[in-house]
Amino acid sequence: MPIFQVKNVSYYYPESEKPALKDINISVDEGEFLLVAGGSGSGKSTLARVLAGLVPDFYGGIFSGRVLFKGRDIRGMDRRKLSRHVGMVFQDPEKQLVKTEAEAEIAFGLENLGLPQQEMLRRVAEAMDFLDLAEVKGRFIDKLSGGQKQKVALASVLAMQPEAIILDEPTSQLDPACAEEFFNLIKRLNEEMGKTVILIEQRLERCFHLADRVAVMKDGKLIIEGAPREVAAKSVAGGMPFIPPVARFFAAMGFPDIPATVKEGRGILKKCLPLHNADEESLGSAGSVEKIGDKSGDVISLKKVWFSYNDKKEVLRDINLRVFPGEFAAILGANGAGKSTLLKIMAGLLHPDRGRVFFQGEECGNKGEIFREKRVAYLAQNPNDYLLQDTVEQELAFTIKNFNIPDDGRIDRLLGEMDLKRHRNKNPRDLSSGERQRVALASVLVTHPSLVLLDEPTRGMDYALKAALGEYLEGLCSSQLCVVMVTHDVEFAAEYAKRVIILHDGKIVSDGSAKQVLGNSMFYSTQMARMCRGFAADILTVEDAMETLAPLLSQNYKLALERGLW
Amino acid sequence: MEELFYHEKGLFLQKLHPAASLAYICTLLVLTLIFTNPFYLAGLFFCTGLSVWMLEGLETWELFLKGGLFMTVPIMIINPLVSKAGATILWRGPSLPVFGEITVSMEAVFYGAVMSLRLLDVISIFCLYNIMVHPDKAMNMLERFAFKSALVLSLATRMFPAMIRHLENIKEIQLVRGVDFSGGTFKQKINKYTNLIYILLLSSLEDSMEIAEAMHARAFGSGRRTRYVRDSIKPADSVCLAAAAAALLTGAWGTVKGYGVMNFYPRLGPAYSRGDMRMLALLLSMLSIPSLLSWGWRYCRYFR
Repeated sequence: MPIFQVKNVSYYYPESEKPALKDINISVDEGEFLLVAGGSGSGKSTLARVLAGLVPDFYGGIFSGRVLFKGRDIRGMDRRKLSRHVGMVFQDPEKQLVKTEAEAEIAFGLENLGLPQQEMLRRVAEAMDFLDLAEVKGRFIDKLSGGQKQKVALASVLAMQPEAIILDEPTSQLDPACAEEFFNLIKRLNEEMGKTVILIEQRLERCFHLADRVAVMKDGKLIIEGAPREVAAKSVAGGMPFIPPVARFFAAMGFPDIPATVKEGRGILKKCLPLHNADEESLGSAGSVEKIGDKSGDVISLKKVWFSYNDKKEVLRDINLRVFPGEFAAILGANGAGKSTLLKIMAGLLHPDRGRVFFQGEECGNKGEIFREKRVAYLAQNPNDYLLQDTVEQELAFTIKNFNIPDDGRIDRLLGEMDLKRHRNKNPRDLSSGERQRVALASVLVTHPSLVLLDEPTRGMDYALKAALGEYLEGLCSSQLCVVMVTHDVEFAAEYAKRVIILHDGKIVSDGSAKQVLGNSMFYSTQMARMCRGFAADILTVEDAMETLAPLLSQNYKLALERGLW
Repeated sequence: MEELFYHEKGLFLQKLHPAASLAYICTLLVLTLIFTNPFYLAGLFFCTGLSVWMLEGLETWELFLKGGLFMTVPIMIINPLVSKAGATILWRGPSLPVFGEITVSMEAVFYGAVMSLRLLDVISIFCLYNIMVHPDKAMNMLERFAFKSALVLSLATRMFPAMIRHLENIKEIQLVRGVDFSGGTFKQKINKYTNLIYILLLSSLEDSMEIAEAMHARAFGSGRRTRYVRDSIKPADSVCLAAAAAALLTGAWGTVKGYGVMNFYPRLGPAYSRGDMRMLALLLSMLSIPSLLSWGWRYCRYFR
């Protein structure tokens, strides 16, 4: 019996003329794992909110159609009863936790349900034990890591013992290791406890293989729905990017069985590639990491930089780094590794406790002369923090006015380059998240800096927006600008960055070309690199694999078929 | 700023039942407000300091006291200049319109000093509350009587440090966009800081919708609530509660009997009497019990 049945649902947000959902029909079976994919603004999150009963109950707006939970119309159900059956975990843990301490947070929903004390004690204890949260008991939520906060958010929903759990991009703020751990928990909930899971996600390489069924949305409509392999084949045929790299590669190669995991992909490669004995040669070529650095004329260089905040713990330790014109470098590392701090040191916003920072050969003093001399553009994590003015154009004008730069047509040019001309007289806060990001970036690029620093620029972006950003940044590098980006998005770094730096506990532990660093890393590696390791060197992306492996693979696939090895 | 907020250190006084902690802090506060005798106020200051020490909060206390000094110094200067109730004139100044003749009396100087001490006491008690009582535990107590107010306070407590950090981030962004916070006229500076607050408010408004949605999804406001109680009263809590209650009752009785109260105007009354000192010793011994238990908890296994 389906746990959810969505029948002809259409929905308009208040004061919106464009429907967020158009005639949606879908059902979800009990114990199923449904993955909902799609671009930004495709209606994924709205669908999640419909299933959780938040739309239209919380948002208002115009709603038509029916949503049934176990045969009962959700809109006729008591909210308390619905909350007992359907739980929802949101994207940003900071914006869903209301208490100051983890245990109280987990109990919050139970208090709202009016459960007796003994029942609450048991449920809180069970949820904490299941999610291994004993260490956070009594600690301030504010002091927890992003991964721990998201686990507390999950525990607070889990304690309510819902039959279905809806997760809206729950790992978008987490580093790859934390995201992996989080998805393992979700998998256990689905497999061991039989919970129905509906997951909204952009980074499909993390979760595609977990799903029983995948639904792809576009412009408020459900355009593809089916088993992961089926969806992969249809997506490739339709030219859509909503499948993970491994599946995309084999679907593009025309294989009948499309693998969803690295393991399955390697299984296919093993059947085909041993004929060419590629293993040994390629293992050798993917060897040691060569350090980039013996170039002259760096844009910024850091020498023996140490830094600590007030709590005395050193956040950066003995950082030596040089970045050169035209370079596109990505800094990877776990949450708390010191990535953002390093970026702020490079921007001149923080001054090192020890060590020296040189910008274009000149040593920087204590008061952040770098940004004062308009040589650095710094884009922080939240683009909303940039949006102050009434129009997009004024936002750019604000920056050049502060620096006493005359508008020599640069605003117009930049708006054109960043596809913002049609929004020039709009309030930036009325734009979509991707557009806000572009406005924020334009507002710092308008000074024509030599160094562009970006902190998590792809957070919450879909494939298309990421591709547009990546191409734009590549364009900047080709005009000798230098881009340094902090990111958790390994696939994006592999696609566009030429150099990758891995930071761990405040130290640089790996620094080299993207192919060397990501190709050799166990965790900071792309799906394609993990799959191709041992078969061919220097493969990070689907495009790399198509170039290097595809001819060999298709030839051997035919041979294998002929010899009956397949 | 981080030092000013509660940090869980797992200390005895932090583990007390919130009823015991709040009773102790309230007793200190009430006694500070009813006593005017400087010996009593100094004694309360000492007791508060002892508890702060046991909570490893001397650095935080120093920050609070430094802030407090900015308030006490004006009191000590202004009170003698405007008060004309004292009989022992130390200095006669010029005659000013509205104020009349400026005189400084010994009583007014003494009164200003004692009131400053009282203010430092209040600030220290506030500091003690901040480092001793987990905000959630305090809110949990308040929830019994005013749930919605407690929730608003809890949210504010949770969000405040995050908002401070957010404000710092916004300031950094403005710096990189060429805003010079140290330059310009006073009006221009006000404008620059207003912009920071404006961005913070806009972002906070957007965030508040998401928080409300997450609360709604967890059945907030769907009917009668229950309370999750984690803390049970332990023997140590009972002892601290009893000590606080006894100190409060003794203090109240003493005030009625004239102990702990000093007259300042028109002439200074006596601050010292044998009865007063006995009463003060009794009060201090009662108010030191939580600190003594805390010391014992750490160093003497029989206290556990």
